[in-house]
Amino acid sequence: MKRRGRGIACMWYPIGFTVAANPSAAVVKVNEDGTATLLTGTVETGQGSLTILAQIVAQELGIATEDVHVVSADTDTTPMDTGAIASRTTYVTGNAARLAAEKAKLMMFDVAAPMLGVKANQLEAKDHHIVVKGYPQRKAHVGDVANHARVVTGEPPIGSGYFNPATVALDPETGQGKPFATYVYATQIAEVEVDDETGETEVLRIVASHDCGTPINPMLVEGQVEGGISMGVGFALQEEILFDAKGRQINPNLTNYIMPTSLDMPDIQVDIVDNYDPTGPFGAKGVGEPTCVSTAAAICNAIHDAVGVRVTSLPATAEKIHNLIKAKQAEQTRQIAAAG
Amino acid sequence: MDTKTKTGTLLEAEELLRAPAPAPLVPFPLEVRVPDPSRQTPAVGQRTTRPDARTHGLGQTKYIDDFYVPGMLFAKIKRAGVASARILKVDTSEAEAMPGVVAVITGKDIPVNSFGPSLKDQPVLAHERVFHAGDGVAAVAAVTEQIAADALEKITVEYEEFTPVLDPLDSLKLETPGVHAPSANIYGHKLIKKGDIEKGFAESYRIFEASFRTQMVEHVPLEPHSSLAQWDANGRLTIHSTLGRITLGRADIARTLGIPMSRIRIIATVVGGNFGGKNEITTEPVVAMLSKKTGRPVKCTFTRPEEFYSSTTRHPIIMDYKTGVTKEGKILARKIRLVLDGGAYCSWSETTLGKACILCAGPYEIENLVAEAFVVYTNKTMTGAMRGFGAPQVCFGYESHMDDIAKALGIDPLEIRLRNALKEGSLSPTSQMLHSVVVRESLLQAAKRFGWTGSAQGAQA
Repeated sequence: MKRRGRGIACMWYPIGFTVAANPSAAVVKVNEDGTATLLTGTVETGQGSLTILAQIVAQELGIATEDVHVVSADTDTTPMDTGAIASRTTYVTGNAARLAAEKAKLMMFDVAAPMLGVKANQLEAKDHHIVVKGYPQRKAHVGDVANHARVVTGEPPIGSGYFNPATVALDPETGQGKPFATYVYATQIAEVEVDDETGETEVLRIVASHDCGTPINPMLVEGQVEGGISMGVGFALQEEILFDAKGRQINPNLTNYIMPTSLDMPDIQVDIVDNYDPTGPFGAKGVGEPTCVSTAAAICNAIHDAVGVRVTSLPATAEKIHNLIKAKQAEQTRQIAAAG
Repeated sequence: MDTKTKTGTLLEAEELLRAPAPAPLVPFPLEVRVPDPSRQTPAVGQRTTRPDARTHGLGQTKYIDDFYVPGMLFAKIKRAGVASARILKVDTSEAEAMPGVVAVITGKDIPVNSFGPSLKDQPVLAHERVFHAGDGVAAVAAVTEQIAADALEKITVEYEEFTPVLDPLDSLKLETPGVHAPSANIYGHKLIKKGDIEKGFAESYRIFEASFRTQMVEHVPLEPHSSLAQWDANGRLTIHSTLGRITLGRADIARTLGIPMSRIRIIATVVGGNFGGKNEITTEPVVAMLSKKTGRPVKCTFTRPEEFYSSTTRHPIIMDYKTGVTKEGKILARKIRLVLDGGAYCSWSETTLGKACILCAGPYEIENLVAEAFVVYTNKTMTGAMRGFGAPQVCFGYESHMDDIAKALGIDPLEIRLRNALKEGSLSPTSQMLHSVVVRESLLQAAKRFGWTGSAQGAQA
């Protein structure tokens, strides 16, 4: 008989590395046509972080995301970056990119101030223009200012910035200290159906409620959560590298190492928890890794709710669940016999 | 051998074989985008489409395996296939004599044959000792991928095999032979102590104990590890690589090759999935040395099996939890021991150990805490960075344990979490004051969306 269960699991996860320095630098150039170029040493590994960085730079310069071209991952041209690791790109590289864009913006304010007959501190960058605060009609197009800076005043608006999260080394005796600048939090709830005769589990639905500070791009956050859950489903139910007695892998291929496919994916409902981290770029933290953290725990708690057995070692294969159910039934039979 | 003759006889076939498969002519729109002042600002918070979506969707994205450079050779790496052994003899002569094979190298050809993000305990190609079955022992550069693969079969290696250490709990024992003797098998240790654990347990209404284990898994990126090396006439090296962290990867490559960093250019292309698995060097020094030896560009792409046994994997963790609670389910004390299977090399184990040890208490306020974690060598595939750095493993532990406690005390699983959740200003296990904390909000939001009401509704078999 197929039995349904539900399971909840929450988690916390830090942004960046433990204690070890974790810096990123960035360079932003504002071009003559009002577009901008970002140089970053990070790498696009499919997660969409270059788009996030472009959005951060665009926001700071008051231009559109499409106006920012990102040059990345070339040691001859791009500045130091600790890399696409530890869910750090939005927070650390994002802060560096924002600071670099801010510097370029302030350079443009210096150029635009005499053009508009005001002081630099009276200006803001908004809707593709350098605008006098409170006087939206007094403005100059970003491209005109950037061009003026290049061909008339002579200093092109090129800003560089860096960010290195402040940490405090852990005490070697007690482990006390400040290992990370900030953390994110999340909850996932799984609904499963377990066949109590075969032990086979189907994940029907996962509700995922994730904190990432300000979502710079909600669509990319949702994409990360869905991808993380697919990894979590594999970790929970299927995937395992097996070794023979001599220490050689026996299933190093996709025929025998079974990963979830799109057909194994549950219905996923993603919610982004409203939050703002004042230390992140525009309040953002990160979301990459945390998305796969609580999935297996939620699924195993749901299995327990459905058929009353506790899986203590992953993956929760049908065989393992079947054996646990059999053992539980045998124990119940023994108790009834003893009582009788 | 006279390479000139060899190249001559093979020239035609070689050129044919080396030619890339013609890409299908897919017409795609080529309008030039001009900056449009009406384009939406502000940018943050927008559901902007990724610019690479267009190239991915049109099949125009070029991965390293799609790259072809005139004169390029293909490299393959011979894998040990034994988990622990001394290398007695490597005979590459038969492979070198094969038509189409241009160069063969072994560990002794790597200028500085060790690397690693923290401990430099991993050889580029195994020399003298093999520490796990996926270790490379020799590499071949040939005019086609098939010839390179065939040449691996002609390389013979004599080993003196040892009994491998496979179980991390065995590795922990003092009498177990050292995987990297004379170094100890425990190569990382972390301890976090907060409050008075004995007092916390003494005051507890009930104490619960449980053990959990997790397995080894692979990242399985769609694109396997790949790199392409070329030297120019001025002795400058350019490597296209799937590395996810090029600036620090370049430092490791420079160190293994014994040349200054400024002589190396690393270009990372669009990487087809990382998940933590592409954060250290793999084939880069091998293709660089083969390219130097042959004077030709050399490319190496992992096969899918190599992706499993010669790249990093997720740490299996053995977890022991002991938790003291009040009648209302408030955690008073928690003691945790973690043993991480560190595989054959350190890789990113130190970061994984640190994160696992700090996070294993869960997102809960716990005044009295002891968390101790060990990472040990085994003769298995190296474990390293993988999405979550130990967090998915310990979350399986602390959240399974939490549900068992809730059930025993007759408290709803949601309710027990709300009673213990970290809050704004809570102190973490390392006594860091936390900000922008939303555990409670995420629990309530998820519960509302799910429709979580009352006590467990599932069948209680």
